[in-house]
Amino acid sequence: MAQTSDSLKKRKKDLTFWQKIYIPEIAKGLALTFKNMIRPKFTMEYPEEKFIPPPSYRGRPVLVLEETGEERCVACGLCSRVCPALAIEVQAAETEREKERYPQKFEINMLRCIFCGLCEEVCPEEAIVMSKDYELAFTNREDAIYGKDKLLTPVSQLKDRIEFLRKYK
Amino acid sequence: MNITEIIIVSLIKIVFVLGITLLTVAYLVYFERKIAAWAQNRIGPNRVGWQGILQPFADVFKLLLKEDIVPEKANRIVHAIAPMIALFVAFTTYAVIPIGPNVNIFGYDISLVVADVNMGVLYVLALTSLGVYAITFAGWSSGSKYSLLGGIRSSAQMISYEISMGFSIGGVLLLAESLRPIDIVNSQAGLWNAIIQPIGFITFVVSAFAETNRLPFDLPEAEPELVGGFHTEYSSMKFAGFFLAEYANMIIASAMIVTLYLGGWHLPFEQSLGLSGSWLTVFQITSFFVKMGAMLFFFIWVRWSIPRFRYDQLMNLGWKVMFPLSLINIIWVAVIIMITN
Amino acid sequence: MPKIIIDGNEIEFKQGQTIIEAAKDHGIEIPHFCWHPKLSVSGNCRMCLVEVEKMPKLVIACATVASEGMVVHTQSPKTIAARNAVMEFLLINHPLDCPICDEAGECKLQDYAYQHSIGESRFVEEKVHKDKRVKIGPRVMFDAERCISCSRCIRFCDEIAKDSELTFTRRGDRVTITTFPGEELDNPYSMNVVDICPVGALTNADFRFKARVWDMSHTNSICIGCSRGCNIEIWVRNNEILRLTPRHNEDVNSYWMCDHGRLNTFKFVNSETRVNSPHIRKEGQLIRVSWDEAFAEAASRLRTFGKDQIAVIGSAYATCEDNYLVSKFAKNILGTGNLDFIRHIDYSFADDILRKEDLTPNSLGAELMGVKPLKNGLNVEEIIKSIKEGKIKALYLIEDDILTADPEIETYLAKLELLIVHAANFNQSTNFADIVFPAATYAEKNGTFINFQGRLQRIRPAVATIEVDRALEGMALSRLDKFGTKFDRWAQGKHFDARATWKILTSLSNAFGSRWKYKMAEDVFDEMVSSIPELKGLNYDIIGDLGVQLKLEKVNVV
Repeated sequence: MAQTSDSLKKRKKDLTFWQKIYIPEIAKGLALTFKNMIRPKFTMEYPEEKFIPPPSYRGRPVLVLEETGEERCVACGLCSRVCPALAIEVQAAETEREKERYPQKFEINMLRCIFCGLCEEVCPEEAIVMSKDYELAFTNREDAIYGKDKLLTPVSQLKDRIEFLRKYK
Repeated sequence: MNITEIIIVSLIKIVFVLGITLLTVAYLVYFERKIAAWAQNRIGPNRVGWQGILQPFADVFKLLLKEDIVPEKANRIVHAIAPMIALFVAFTTYAVIPIGPNVNIFGYDISLVVADVNMGVLYVLALTSLGVYAITFAGWSSGSKYSLLGGIRSSAQMISYEISMGFSIGGVLLLAESLRPIDIVNSQAGLWNAIIQPIGFITFVVSAFAETNRLPFDLPEAEPELVGGFHTEYSSMKFAGFFLAEYANMIIASAMIVTLYLGGWHLPFEQSLGLSGSWLTVFQITSFFVKMGAMLFFFIWVRWSIPRFRYDQLMNLGWKVMFPLSLINIIWVAVIIMITN
Repeated sequence: MPKIIIDGNEIEFKQGQTIIEAAKDHGIEIPHFCWHPKLSVSGNCRMCLVEVEKMPKLVIACATVASEGMVVHTQSPKTIAARNAVMEFLLINHPLDCPICDEAGECKLQDYAYQHSIGESRFVEEKVHKDKRVKIGPRVMFDAERCISCSRCIRFCDEIAKDSELTFTRRGDRVTITTFPGEELDNPYSMNVVDICPVGALTNADFRFKARVWDMSHTNSICIGCSRGCNIEIWVRNNEILRLTPRHNEDVNSYWMCDHGRLNTFKFVNSETRVNSPHIRKEGQLIRVSWDEAFAEAASRLRTFGKDQIAVIGSAYATCEDNYLVSKFAKNILGTGNLDFIRHIDYSFADDILRKEDLTPNSLGAELMGVKPLKNGLNVEEIIKSIKEGKIKALYLIEDDILTADPEIETYLAKLELLIVHAANFNQSTNFADIVFPAATYAEKNGTFINFQGRLQRIRPAVATIEVDRALEGMALSRLDKFGTKFDRWAQGKHFDARATWKILTSLSNAFGSRWKYKMAEDVFDEMVSSIPELKGLNYDIIGDLGVQLKLEKVNVV
């Protein structure tokens, strides 16, 4: 950082003769861009070639579905509360299970979601995690509201992220 | 040759040159995008046709299909004329650019230039000066502050750099003792003007960048400040007109640089290759196009390397650096002529 | 007055006050669980330990009577350490249930865990397991694990509800609360234990898991269950009332309200039977029509009757503003003296705690606003009699059901030539009505009630009707109301096309050609103030949240 601020402070009077002439500097710049032209490219040709994100990636939030077929979510509403974009709506209801509360309705409006991951961070049950799914396209507003049917994801598909969270959260 | 033959030959030449130019312009846009991509470690357009080879046609098709929007406060006539002027100027200039020595086809001695005018260089200067009207008109007639600012900047810039451009050419004309492009090319058969008068070469190249409104001198457009500058309020084919004109101007500028400073179709060692007459002509024409291609690549390469000048820097450079340098160049050439004579 | 020093501030106290009371009176909060201003002191939670100079050990502020010259420290290192320890003890066996606990967000233990605990536990053993989800009474659920044994609920039943149902059983960490054998927590005030429970051990069976407290808006209002007029808060999410809670008002209801008021006075607001937009009977069926059509129809048909053929019945469920205009409408527009309202008296409902025999919130108000028969006018009984005799041919009924006054009148209602009803919900009277105007409920309008004591209290809109924008009307906004848009799904709650009775009458009078210019309830109130001497000098701001006591000649309407 110190270096940058120094170079920012450089005024015209600080320049050497050759820098003032500017032509050698242009040549340097041209050399740099030319070097880049022959370097390997970073582009991924998307539909054919897909980016598989690392576990630290925050894709669309999903609900964890246990192997027993039950969701972990207890509908505490903290994700809904913390969501800065008001994307999450939860309606709790009572169930006979040991954890007496479950989400009767759990909706994420993907048009509102900003992928900040606060819902995941605040979740006391590790029930909502950020997946690797970044392919989100809808043709109308209604489709953008993901209900439990779309959100529930088997825990086996989310192992990466859950491990990452346990390690770094 | 009788008058009918001259007309037919000229028509053929015009069609040939226009066709080549339009195709080149289209592909220049393609290469601009490709080279930009490469400089940024990207791939560039590669979806339309093999390696995106049909991209220019897709672009043109898209522009054709777009809605032509004219702002409510625009002066409709001038707004429509402006891109036409730009295109007219860009294409008529090609008339005097020679691409090779005279060739003999079907018994006719044909010069590879549409119009072999004896004051061709002056013609080019005159026409390119007209180009400023296109931009000024476009800027004024759009009825938008961004366009107007772009137009004003453009006229100031083009007029300023025309002076250094004209004076840089002075050195070339002194050496060639002619305004005829073919004479100028032939005068460089031994040694290129670029080597004899490097200062003139540099001032001319810089002025050419400024005249074509290319980066680092694209202040009339200057997206970050002026949206699109003079063409902010243009869409559809009118916009395409300016777009084509810009690239056509690039080609002219390259051709002029090659003609005036890089020996036209001449290469220093061409005689030592021992090629027979017609093969030599082919070789020379190819060398002209290769040189032009290199210049065009240079235009694009510079665009993706150097940031835009500030307006005051641009004016300082034009008046306080380029203008004196071009004067120095004339003196330098005059001294050389004095000594060698 | 004697003085004590708390945290360096010299404060005055009344002889006999405890330290915690003296501190509370001066805005110093000493953390506490088991102490409640209206319950006896039990001193078992130990949270209110404070350091008092010259005392050998820390003392509990709730049971230590303040005395002259006492020097109390509520923030000294010793006090803070003691509080930390108490919190750690309380949290040892308290389950980490907050995500599924309804109390979260308004839980004292949760708040204090942030304010007064170091946030770490040294307890590594298994927590004690007790019964969860116990239906301790018909309206209250009990979770024994969450209980911190403060005994507030036990003391409430003993001292306030006067119906001892709860007690502690067992000892040590196994201590739990249970009902006496054969008993249930079913006294008419049982749900107050939910409010005073500092944790989520006792929860409201009706409201359970419906909504998070932080997602609701809350509006100060008045209970309409009886003429006590308990001060309440209306909790609303997505334009739907989810619960009512009592609001402290020492002159009316203290901290309490009865279960009837809490449960039975809000569900009709969002019920299926709500009248939505005006209706006119055409070919035997009530058909939805526009307001303008309904006003025109009502005016033209009312005009066809003579003064003596019309009767108007106001309502003790409606606000003073409504009744004032009912009276004005009857006298000035219809010119009839047959004006009264129906009393709803049930002596079996009354008790000597809060409940009153008058089951309407505003009988005194209706009477004060002039909803009573004029000279030669008929009262309710006479109106009913005249209807039966066929002398009254047109009846204008406001927010009430005439069949509750006399079930036999059913056969005669059909014979009426015109029956106009203002009703929030379809009822037996609307079955016979020719024109039904949808009346806004108490939760949808501004207005005032006068309770049995002659106390004038305000109600405010908590639920928006179709013509109301929450934010523009200055209604209470929840987080979702405030930051959402009308496109969000949580904003799709029902909005009924209903208007307050005063507003309907204003438009109807104007259909008669008069020029009433009331734009809001406050305009009506301002006119009432100038024409009714008892209200002199009042306005909505003066009434405020706690109401004002009026000086009425006759206090008991019964």
